[in-house]
Amino acid sequence: MQFRTRAATGALAALSVVALAGCGEDPQSGTGTDGGSSFGAVIKGLDNPFFQQMEQGIDAQAQDSGVDIEIQAAASITDTSGQADKLDAMAQQGFDCYVVNPISGTNLVQGLARIAAEGTPVVNIDSPVEADAASKAGLEISTYIGTDNVEAGQKAGETMLEALGGSGDVALVGGISGDVTSGARLDGFTQAVQGKLNIVQTVAADWDRQIALTKATDILSANPDIKGFFAANDDMAIGIARAVANAGRAGEIPIIGVDGIEDALKAVEAGDMYATVAQYPYAIGEMGVQACQKATDGGDLPENVVAPTAVVTKDNAGEALEAFPAPFEEFENPLE
Amino acid sequence: MATTQAAPAATPSADDSRRKLSELPWPELASTLGLIALAVIFAIANPGYLSEGNVSAILQAAAILIVLTIGQTFVVATGGIDLSVASTMTLGAIVLGEFYALGWNIWLAALAGLVAATLVGVVNGLVISKGGITDFIVTLGTLSAASGLALIIADGKKTTVIEPSLIKLSVNGIWLFSWAVIIALGLAVIAHVVLFHTRFGVHVLAIGGSAESSRSLGIRVWMVKTGVYVISAALAGVAALLVVARVGAAEPAANTAFLLNSVAAVVLGGVSLFGGRATIAAPVMGAILLTALVNGLTRVGLSEFYQPLTVGVVVVLAAFLTRFNR
Repeated sequence: MQFRTRAATGALAALSVVALAGCGEDPQSGTGTDGGSSFGAVIKGLDNPFFQQMEQGIDAQAQDSGVDIEIQAAASITDTSGQADKLDAMAQQGFDCYVVNPISGTNLVQGLARIAAEGTPVVNIDSPVEADAASKAGLEISTYIGTDNVEAGQKAGETMLEALGGSGDVALVGGISGDVTSGARLDGFTQAVQGKLNIVQTVAADWDRQIALTKATDILSANPDIKGFFAANDDMAIGIARAVANAGRAGEIPIIGVDGIEDALKAVEAGDMYATVAQYPYAIGEMGVQACQKATDGGDLPENVVAPTAVVTKDNAGEALEAFPAPFEEFENPLE
Repeated sequence: MATTQAAPAATPSADDSRRKLSELPWPELASTLGLIALAVIFAIANPGYLSEGNVSAILQAAAILIVLTIGQTFVVATGGIDLSVASTMTLGAIVLGEFYALGWNIWLAALAGLVAATLVGVVNGLVISKGGITDFIVTLGTLSAASGLALIIADGKKTTVIEPSLIKLSVNGIWLFSWAVIIALGLAVIAHVVLFHTRFGVHVLAIGGSAESSRSLGIRVWMVKTGVYVISAALAGVAALLVVARVGAAEPAANTAFLLNSVAAVVLGGVSLFGGRATIAAPVMGAILLTALVNGLTRVGLSEFYQPLTVGVVVVLAAFLTRFNR
């Protein structure tokens, strides 16, 4: 009797695995027997809208061009080893090309090196694989597609110059201190405003809305003459906007962010933020698939492809929201 | 690796064999049977699942979890639990990374990481056994403290560790087994010998059975208790080396899923959470099962949103197998 219960439990366990596995898409043949190519994509965690849009872009482009795509994402933004496990599992299925957005510069290097060694193209999107690590592992990336963060910072700087009429005190709010992306955006901004605007303070707010609110409140009380804020991402810019509103100076102090998340586009439309430099994870995803197609068709790929960015102000915020998450203006695409 | 519970030989009488079946150590067999069932199901759903390349990839991905699971098994065998394994591993990795960045030889740096991790175990063990505070609370505290220390030492930043000998550790090996896997399985063999063929191992299981009667038998309970937490932490130090080799960097805030998975593997391995009953082979199989499950779900294209749910269902169902055992 007791054994029967156990057997039933075991059968139940087996069944539930089958049932849950059945929720997935059809198993990948991976070998392209149906004539079309099949690509594999490994991206970061889908708990972030940025990567959800990237997934949408990858899916849309794959459907558009009639290729099979299998997309896997990491469990979270810190799941470096789990993402490597997922890539390894997919690497064994022999896709014709791989699109990857690694969590860190090194976590996928080993798996990618093995894929590339077999002559399969690897397209790196968004977060770059560390060049030093790649060369030590003998990994050659077919192409890299991502936002030029220095350029994004420059665009923000130029927009700030316009907003302030060419002079004034500004404060910069960066992400986690020492972060490469944050550093590049702040550098770009600084280059653009050099000799014109006076940067009185640079703080790190860890990409976090709440921390940015606190730090901006402190900056505002210490420097009442502040004329503008630049934040390295939109979440922090929204936090700063709240701090400015709390200080009773809403609309007086221009705030510029980077990313172009939906909340920020709405804040720009409402006048809480002056502008955002939008980047397009959706377009980056699309371009990743396009690059894979080009590579499998035997075409030449540029080593680097700069993904589009666009300045969104009150004038075009409505347009940007309507097209969201796709870019609202045409951009030059060397992969098309 | 053989467990001490060998399956009884088959007998001709049907009635007899049914009785023998009920005497089989089901909790210990659950993870192995589960793994076989899983392999069959996924091999049908996804040809190539059992290919050499994929089996090798599964083992490679399981190596870190296997090492952590062995340590967790020792602790659970005494009726305790070590919630700090994953953050102890992170601390070990960060210390390794810092010394490597100073220009130390990679193996010396790994040793420093091992020592740092082991110290966490000494603290855990002494506070629990001498301080008389519940293991759950103490290791919950060190979970937070060790990851906090890692953040402080690393200043929140990761250190890139790209070293050819480390890459070889997870790429080269013998047939299906990379060196990392061989290290993990070697540690499992050693742990099996320690648990079943040394006085310390006997004491571990005795304390898990009943700490009070162990004490009256003259076993120095505090030493054994401290010992298991030191073993768990030292193995976390070994896992630190493996994780750095795998992801090519020492990261202060990463890979928190290992804690739950190590406990899940121990449960899958039929180890009683009340202590006193444990094997090494079954939890190791449990660790491989969890990894093989996620690998298979990835291959059939199941969205990552469903994966944690599936893993949870499998763990709870496995716990039922233990429950129905006398």
